Amino acid sequence: MAHNPEADLDTLELCLRQGIAGNDYADPREELGCRADADDREVARALVRLVAASDLEQIGTQSINSEAARHPSVRPPTAVAADPSFLGRLSTSGAEGLSVERIDDLPTILAVLRAGSRRQRRAALERLRERLRDRRLLHTDAVRKAIQTITELRDVELGHELAQARAELPGTQGRQARHEHEHWKRLAQRTEGAIRAFWDGQSNAEPIQGLPGDQRALLLMRASELPDVVVHHISAIIEGNDGWVPLESRIGLISSLRYATDRRLVPALISVVEAERGELVARAARVLGSIDDARVHPALAERFERSFVNEERIALASALGMRGDCRGLTEVRSSLEEDQPQLLLMALEAMENLGSSENTGLVAKFLDHAEVAIATQAVRTAARIGDGRVLDELTAKHNATSVPALRAAIEDALSSIAARMELRGEEAATIDWSEVGNKPVSRKGARDSLPSIVFGWRDYFLGRVWLLLGRVNWANARFESAAGRRSDWAVPLIGIGMAFARREQYALALPAFRRAIELDRTRIERNPILVRAMAKSFLHRAEQVEREGRDDVARGLVGEVLTLDLRRAPGTVRFELKRKHDVLRREEQGDVHSAA
Amino acid sequence: MCLDERSKAMSTRLRDVAIQRLRSLGATTAEGSVRRLTVDIEVDGRVEMVTLSLRDDELQCVSSDGRIDGPHVLAALRFIAGAERRDESSPPGPAVSIVGRSREQVAPNDLAEALDDLLTAVTRVGVDKAQYAPSVDAALERVTDVAPQPTPPGLGRFIGRLQHEIRSGELRRVARILNGASQLAEALRADESTRESEQRLAAWLGAQPGSMPELELLYDRTMIEIGREWLSGTERASVERRYLIDTRSGNIYREDRRRNTAASLGPCPRQLHVGLAEVEAGPAPQRIRVLQYEVRPDVPLGSWDRVQQVASRNFATVTDGYRESVQAHPSLSEPFALIAPYRIESNGIFRAFDAEGHQLLLNRSERRGAVLAFYDLLAEGMEPSWVAGRLTDTGATVCLTPFAVGTRDRAYTRL
Repeated sequence: MAHNPEADLDTLELCLRQGIAGNDYADPREELGCRADADDREVARALVRLVAASDLEQIGTQSINSEAARHPSVRPPTAVAADPSFLGRLSTSGAEGLSVERIDDLPTILAVLRAGSRRQRRAALERLRERLRDRRLLHTDAVRKAIQTITELRDVELGHELAQARAELPGTQGRQARHEHEHWKRLAQRTEGAIRAFWDGQSNAEPIQGLPGDQRALLLMRASELPDVVVHHISAIIEGNDGWVPLESRIGLISSLRYATDRRLVPALISVVEAERGELVARAARVLGSIDDARVHPALAERFERSFVNEERIALASALGMRGDCRGLTEVRSSLEEDQPQLLLMALEAMENLGSSENTGLVAKFLDHAEVAIATQAVRTAARIGDGRVLDELTAKHNATSVPALRAAIEDALSSIAARMELRGEEAATIDWSEVGNKPVSRKGARDSLPSIVFGWRDYFLGRVWLLLGRVNWANARFESAAGRRSDWAVPLIGIGMAFARREQYALALPAFRRAIELDRTRIERNPILVRAMAKSFLHRAEQVEREGRDDVARGLVGEVLTLDLRRAPGTVRFELKRKHDVLRREEQGDVHSAA
Repeated sequence: MCLDERSKAMSTRLRDVAIQRLRSLGATTAEGSVRRLTVDIEVDGRVEMVTLSLRDDELQCVSSDGRIDGPHVLAALRFIAGAERRDESSPPGPAVSIVGRSREQVAPNDLAEALDDLLTAVTRVGVDKAQYAPSVDAALERVTDVAPQPTPPGLGRFIGRLQHEIRSGELRRVARILNGASQLAEALRADESTRESEQRLAAWLGAQPGSMPELELLYDRTMIEIGREWLSGTERASVERRYLIDTRSGNIYREDRRRNTAASLGPCPRQLHVGLAEVEAGPAPQRIRVLQYEVRPDVPLGSWDRVQQVASRNFATVTDGYRESVQAHPSLSEPFALIAPYRIESNGIFRAFDAEGHQLLLNRSERRGAVLAFYDLLAEGMEPSWVAGRLTDTGATVCLTPFAVGTRDRAYTRL
């Protein structure tokens, strides 16, 4: 084929860029030295050959264009203006401007800890830890209050950071936290050994999948402290390269990582966001949203721009919102306005990260939703938005509802909104806790006679003795007898429930706990040991029946326990219950997408 | 009325009829609506492909010679208008099923023709307009239609790369990739095959029937996976590519896993003790099939030391290797390199230098998040002892898209 070796490269590139058909500026045939009647195919071949040959000759010959190689620091702009208030402008790090790292005032740090975004709260907790390391301040009132706040804080989203902070505290709380850490270390070591056996071919059971839900949540809560081998194994499951774990379990593992902040997981999660579809993408996006890493935002934004699945888009919008990018706000608003049942919970969750006071009315609409999970989420979202206009509505709802979980969420929300208003410099909301407090139900009926009280306690103590001797059936008989002697006495029933729960006989523990809750719910809800045993019994029983394929029963159990005030239950148990509820709810709606 | 005006009026009438025809198909066809039609039309002995598409209720017509109202377009419009009359009186027939063609059923000349048509379609409309050109879409579809089914990985990757480069407007890379397709078309038409043409066909289409694939067998090797990524083919994210380095020779191989198919198991990074593997001759990095292996999800520190030892220290050699590789397989070569910089500069711009002063820098146009994270690590004071990444070139400068980095403190960080 004839072509002109001295053709002007710029002209050829112009022809290639603008097309050889109808190019007004250059005649490609003439430039290439082709015949005037040469067909386009011949011209095209000659053109790309010359341009490509010239390109190849130049490789490695030109000096570096320093402008082209400069740090790509330009981050995508946010779609809407950021919240201009103190809290809206408060960054999590940095030595200049408004930054949590620069706050010295303990009450302000505590307010940020109650009212800030997840990243702000995490940074505030870190700042608090720094301040508490200064032993000279330990005996001041402000520090005592800070210690009390750390002790009482039950924020599931900050589980790892709270555990670290508590481990540094003096006294019982610190000892207990360090003891829990030792327990976690043993669990991590066991898991590491099992993982090595799995990859060596000595075991065909995937170790993390085999853990009970709360143990798995506990293990993954401290993902950033896990050894490399465990994190690599988790990454293999996330990416679907373990060769064993089925899709549902893969989704389950990713959702268990929801509050993990380990950067080592980022590449695997980004790989899922890039290459998978549906629920896998949504779950991975939720995890990525809370990890501080430069790789996260470009991956989320790119996927958001090309995704067309509603579920994915809402989750991606939420994750982008966590990073201050509000491009998905309109879409989330539309989902709420259109009241799409399958997306409602997700959209309300997303609004936690995207919403502003303009969205308060929209969110408040769902406070009266018939489904407890949605109403509770609406309360949480209203708390994150922190608009004082919703305080009256929340108070009214608190007094009207009989669902303990909703009441608990409203109490937390009222504190959070008050703290947010304080940080914004608005008039501090004075909440009349006597109006919204958890009012004990007045007992009705006749008082027990003295003999029934005495014999009741006698039977109860005998039951405890039989328990110590390991005679569970005899002990239960005594507890039942004690409960029968007095009306409205929950203590023996709690004893039965605890006895079965310790022996992992959850099916037998549940009826006793249910009867005890009916008689004296607050006694269980306010006692961390009781509420933990009760919540774990429900969770483990739900796992048992789920394994037997009775998803409806499992859904009922998880739904039942989630109506209670579980604030004093361990964060890992609460997290796992909520996760399981979410999964079972979506299965009920038939909304689990194939990730093929 | 002059001839031109008559022809315009006829074209307008035909367009109106064609729009109605396409709309009626969209409204009544239960199987789905017709959005685009492509027909090969011969006028005066010249065959052109005409694409008619309905976008936003407007009919767009273009022939593969780049004209929108040429004789081929008019003939196609007449055909549609005529088809309307014929179809109105005839009952609907069964849908024609498109069955995947095996490699043996594919006529080499059909694929060569389709590749030439694609090359011609892109150059006719120009790279700037190729992204939205119906003729280019149609030509791409034709390539996949006449290719063996399922689409061979090489051909799939070519399509993915071409679409990506057209989208990013990288003129020279588009030319390079199309030149590679043109070379394949020549190899398909060649009466006698040479070693080079056989190798090219194998790289694009897999092993040919009746030919012995050129395979190297590897035994008892220790390999470390240092990076992986999803690459697009005929669909987005259709191939997962893993980059494995042989700790003995320092050779880098790629293990390609198609979506929903199996390959060696394990996370990234991992250490593989490879009992047996096949390596194909072809574009860099060479493709490996790991047949027998043991996997360790953690890589011992000694192996990371070995990775650092086998890393390239001469960037001139890296550049020459890159150029040779791209010359041999312009469409399919995607070399991967492991470099150990002698020193680095990172004041606003990352430059890695070898002992002789040759430089390499980061590619910013791909894996943007990884580049940002790499810069963040540099800002934190990280001093890389080795960097692994895919090689590319921008403005005739060889660059590295980072995948992994190793430092004295931390043996491996995946980006």
